[in-house]
Amino acid sequence: MSRPILEVTDLRKHYSQRRGLASMLTGQGRVIPAVDGVSFYLRENETVGLVGESGCGKTTIGRTVLRLSDPSSGRIVFDGRDITTLSRAELRPLRREMQMIFQDLDAGLNPKMRVRDILREALTVHERPSDAEIASRIRELLEQVSLKDSKLANFPSELSGGEKRRVGIARVLAVRPRLIVADEPTSALDISIQAQVVNLLRDLQKDLGLAYLFISHDLPIVELVSQKVAVMYLGRIVEMGLAENIAHQPRHPYTGILWSSLADKQSTEVSAYHDGAARAARGAAERPTWGVFDFEQPASGCRFAPRCPLYKDKGRPAVCTDPASEPQLRDVGHGHVVACHFA
Amino acid sequence: MDAPLLAIENLRTYFYSRAKRAFIRSVDGVSLGVARGETLGIVGESGSGKSVTALSAAGLVTAGPGVIGGRIDLHSNGARRNLLDGLENYARATEQDGRVMAVEKDERGWLKHSETLMAGVRGKEIAMIFQNPRSALNPYSTIGKQLVETIRLHTSFKGESEAKERAIHWLERVRIDSPRLRFDNFPFGMSGGMCQRAMIAMALSAEPSLLIADEPTTGLDATIQSRIVDLLAQLKTETGITTLLISHDISVIQRLSDRIAVMYGGTVVETGRAAEVLGPQAQVRHPYTAALLASVPSAETIRRKSYLQAIEGEVLDTIEVPRGCRFYGRCNRVTEAIRENCAGLEPPLGEVAPGHKVRCWLYPAAGKA
Repeated sequence: MSRPILEVTDLRKHYSQRRGLASMLTGQGRVIPAVDGVSFYLRENETVGLVGESGCGKTTIGRTVLRLSDPSSGRIVFDGRDITTLSRAELRPLRREMQMIFQDLDAGLNPKMRVRDILREALTVHERPSDAEIASRIRELLEQVSLKDSKLANFPSELSGGEKRRVGIARVLAVRPRLIVADEPTSALDISIQAQVVNLLRDLQKDLGLAYLFISHDLPIVELVSQKVAVMYLGRIVEMGLAENIAHQPRHPYTGILWSSLADKQSTEVSAYHDGAARAARGAAERPTWGVFDFEQPASGCRFAPRCPLYKDKGRPAVCTDPASEPQLRDVGHGHVVACHFA
Repeated sequence: MDAPLLAIENLRTYFYSRAKRAFIRSVDGVSLGVARGETLGIVGESGSGKSVTALSAAGLVTAGPGVIGGRIDLHSNGARRNLLDGLENYARATEQDGRVMAVEKDERGWLKHSETLMAGVRGKEIAMIFQNPRSALNPYSTIGKQLVETIRLHTSFKGESEAKERAIHWLERVRIDSPRLRFDNFPFGMSGGMCQRAMIAMALSAEPSLLIADEPTTGLDATIQSRIVDLLAQLKTETGITTLLISHDISVIQRLSDRIAVMYGGTVVETGRAAEVLGPQAQVRHPYTAALLASVPSAETIRRKSYLQAIEGEVLDTIEVPRGCRFYGRCNRVTEAIRENCAGLEPPLGEVAPGHKVRCWLYPAAGKA
């Protein structure tokens, strides 16, 4: 088993929000715990999927582990080295080993630069290769992402969505990273192009041994590409385990609902496949009512209790809303962890 | 059989790209019918022309040259109206060898004329809901006010208080919790899903004959998307409203449509009953429809962690429209017997079974059409 390339322990990222006259005067604002005590690790050649609704902190985790934003507390260890408090200068040599693919297709593509210059810039950021080396690396990159030579002279605005995504990936690969945080890498693409990009990312992993933190709300894609999946709710991981177990034997009621909401609008084939999960989530109630997810008034105790069908079915047990007993992740076998009193 | 509520015939809507100095043939000869009470789902990738078809039907295409040909008949309240009536007086396209060389159009004149044709139709007969509900709602006004305005304008509930009661009734019907409180909310105080519900309430409150839903779930969270799809399904049974549903999301189209049209490169490549087009047992399929379904991970693919069957190449841009089949360049089912046809001649939309049409040389019926 390869050793972890990324280890995250009790990561927290709190944003303070200042709104209104009172907070302006006192200088104190409300604190929003976007990421609230998250731990996981990632090995070489492995993909961990991060799923959850928007606002649950997925992207914040992605940005924080790469130190694109600073954590409030916790520990981030990259390749055996604690990078939690490294300065910008100290981080610089490490930047090439950890890269991010953004949801926005245009992110990182300077609209005034041709594809050739975008790639050249990426290749010369960390080293000073000769022109011949640059040319051969560019050819190699184009081959890796299956992009035609003729596109080198194009500006980003002249590329299709799929081509922009390929250039973005080539740019990331230029620095030979070992860890890639892929934040919704396919959500801005057409279905037929999504499949191409997913295949490409998996090929690159196989060839280069990359580790991916794969952030997405496209659950079938996440299940397909990931070995492990972490499900987030309001800044916390509520369940984590092997992808197939998360998808088909979810233990946390939230995971069940997430997958069943997919089944509800899916084709018959996929929904038959997910039926088990869907039924499990529905439980006794025909359909769980789905309240609104609100950071501003976090529930005390279990964060999910206000929307939890199990909580209602169990007759609103006091333990779920006891501020002193927020459920912690515990192992239910085979490294599958769940944060629920009744899992 | 009843005449369809909406009949689109040979619709052509073009845009001019100044950067590329060429016409984008966004919608290039689309014919579709939506029968009373049914939901027609149009599925396709970006650039396929699905949204522009809908916008053309609602008279909302303002960029030039815009709609240049075809007719859109709306049969409602016992009357038949061609929403593109007199278009030929405003637009003329010059073609050569089947290619559009130039389009002359009196755009301002047509817009003015179109406004008179659409008066009393848009908003009243044809209501629309869009992607990104928050930007479609007026941020300066409460949703209650916006609903009341629609109701007083389009229905017989003219009085302030009866219109308010009616508005609350609609908020209830779209399952907004505590509608009386929400009535006074501004759009920014509501979640995306809630805004979409309010949008749907507003569209339906005018009691339209046709609802056009353009990507109603795109951009919402997965869990919220499925609630909105549920809501649309419930409202469909409750109100029986005729719907033109546009989405790139195959699962949404499958769940809500009675009939489906698959669009590619500005044309309809397949149309038929939902089960015939996207059902798991369908025998005859356009290669594009089949490839589209295959690019979505199936249970089998996920279980075996196998590769997705991607459609090679890029989505067709409708500037350089090929002479033959528009899907030829990406098609993996071309056989030697038909290759010449595929490359050189656009297949007609041929009937392969009653009501099921496919635009492909693989099916001999296509040749006979």
